Amino acid sequence: MLAKRIQPLAFQARRLYVELMFQVMGRALQAVSEVDSEVQGEAQALPKGFLFEMMVMPEGAKLIVEHIGNGRFHYHGGSAPRPADVSIKFKHIAHAFLVLSFQEKTAVAFANDRMLVDGDVSYAVRMTRILNRLESFILPKIIAKRAVKEYPENLHLPEKLISAAQIYLKVATHFVQTARA
Amino acid sequence: MTNTYYEFFCPVKVIAGKAALEHIPYELTGLAAKRPMIVTDKGVRAAGLLDPVIAACEESGLEIISIYDDVPPDSSTTVVRDIAAIYRKEKCDSIIAVGGGSAIDTGKAVNILVSEGGTDIAKYAGAGVLKHPLKPFFVVPTTAGTGSEVTSVAVITDEKKGVKLPFTSSFLLPNAAIIDPRMTLTLPPHITAATAMDAMTHAVESFTCMAKNPLSDAYATAAIKKVSQSLLHVMDNPKDSDGRLELAQASTMAGIAFSNSMVGLVHSLGHATGAICHLPHGLCMSLYLPYVLEYNLETIRQPLGELLLYLEGPEIYAATPASRRAEASISALRKLRDALYKRCQLPRTLKETGKVSEDQLDHIAEMALDDGSIMFNPKEVSLKDARAVLQRAWA
Ligand SMILES: [Fe+2]
Repeated sequence: MLAKRIQPLAFQARRLYVELMFQVMGRALQAVSEVDSEVQGEAQALPKGFLFEMMVMPEGAKLIVEHIGNGRFHYHGGSAPRPADVSIKFKHIAHAFLVLSFQEKTAVAFANDRMLVDGDVSYAVRMTRILNRLESFILPKIIAKRAVKEYPENLHLPEKLISAAQIYLKVATHFVQTARA
Repeated sequence: MTNTYYEFFCPVKVIAGKAALEHIPYELTGLAAKRPMIVTDKGVRAAGLLDPVIAACEESGLEIISIYDDVPPDSSTTVVRDIAAIYRKEKCDSIIAVGGGSAIDTGKAVNILVSEGGTDIAKYAGAGVLKHPLKPFFVVPTTAGTGSEVTSVAVITDEKKGVKLPFTSSFLLPNAAIIDPRMTLTLPPHITAATAMDAMTHAVESFTCMAKNPLSDAYATAAIKKVSQSLLHVMDNPKDSDGRLELAQASTMAGIAFSNSMVGLVHSLGHATGAICHLPHGLCMSLYLPYVLEYNLETIRQPLGELLLYLEGPEIYAATPASRRAEASISALRKLRDALYKRCQLPRTLKETGKVSEDQLDHIAEMALDDGSIMFNPKEVSLKDARAVLQRAWA
């Protein structure tokens, strides 16, 4: 409680940022699974109804997506219909912030014990590859390079531009839809 | 590649050296344990390795209450349940696992059941499920390679579902690891070689992969030095107990290193190959190590170059220009593999194993890509990359 009195605004901003990034990533994950064959290919190996969660410990923000078959994801927002099959848990909101603000690569965060994986590790590895692909799609190259170990070679500018535009468009539509609902 | 943050944990008491087994009774009584159960396999018993353990305990008036010697090479949930039932029936109060990876993993899993209760070990699968310390648990390794005596992981096969259940918790770590050279004195040459190369791989990968840190680095380099200096000597003088102790200690040190900084692509490929082609783990490690280091080379040039000091010693290190040291480290490992091939035909390529066909490489690559340790490989690996490494390792 003491910390809250000292820097309430900074903490609140960090929490808001993490929540917002989870929303953007969740929506983008659904969008990218509708347009990108590589993500679809990776996701197809997941069982239908597979629930993936990213969360901040102990009871912080959550991102939940479900594989609804054929490599497509459905974004569930922050609440899961049932316990997740694979959960990536950040130990503290500060660590989630480091990763989601692209100051620490996902793989480095794993290596640095910033987060825990609960569930089938092979599915967690697959989800990490999907998240890497997603990040290189929706982020400008200069930032994406900081977020993933290696920027995919097969992601040329025109394809990237077109796909990114598609995804942004879809993310925007989702936002509007949610705002209306 | 330096880590700005890291964690390091190893609460296992290491009891190592001549007459180490004779410390078991004292250590057990220190934990108020009076009725130990031994968990082991038929091979260990047939090799007479239980005799010194039992003698050491009985001489101190500590009776071994029960011995389970039927742990299979791939331990299962049924075996774990059966052993737990015997433990309860005999009113044991502690476990001594004597053996290699499987006996040790089984001991860890049995300890979960007898401490937490119930008969369904699957309930405790996953990370961080356990919240309390378990019963007193000692490990006496009989191979020098896996490092399981200092890792917080156990893998048990669920026969009915046909899946491997991972258990991860720091409570799985034994209270003590007893490293006695008598236990590895009779290891046959090819197992000595393969398990030592597993230890070498643990150390090299932990020193060159993403989660390396200053403390694990210290253990890794010390382990590499011991394996480099002792392995061939032990191959030529299998009864040399000083050399055997060096290898056993190296294995434990490498275990401490990799359990804190993880392993990479060598293990991803090795796990996949083990599952598909049923090749021993250590053999796969020895086989893939140089090819993976070549793949990672530009990402790990600096740390890999540093390893030359521990692989070849100060003279060769000093005589090699800094820019050539990483390549020289790989050559040193290849030289060691050639020497092992000469002594016990430890395969250096997939073709030399005689158990892998070229059309299996795609499947191995796919499976390796989903292996957890690939997360910690310093260089990103695509399916194409993994396939290319396998092709180079083919012949
Ligand atoms: Fe290993």
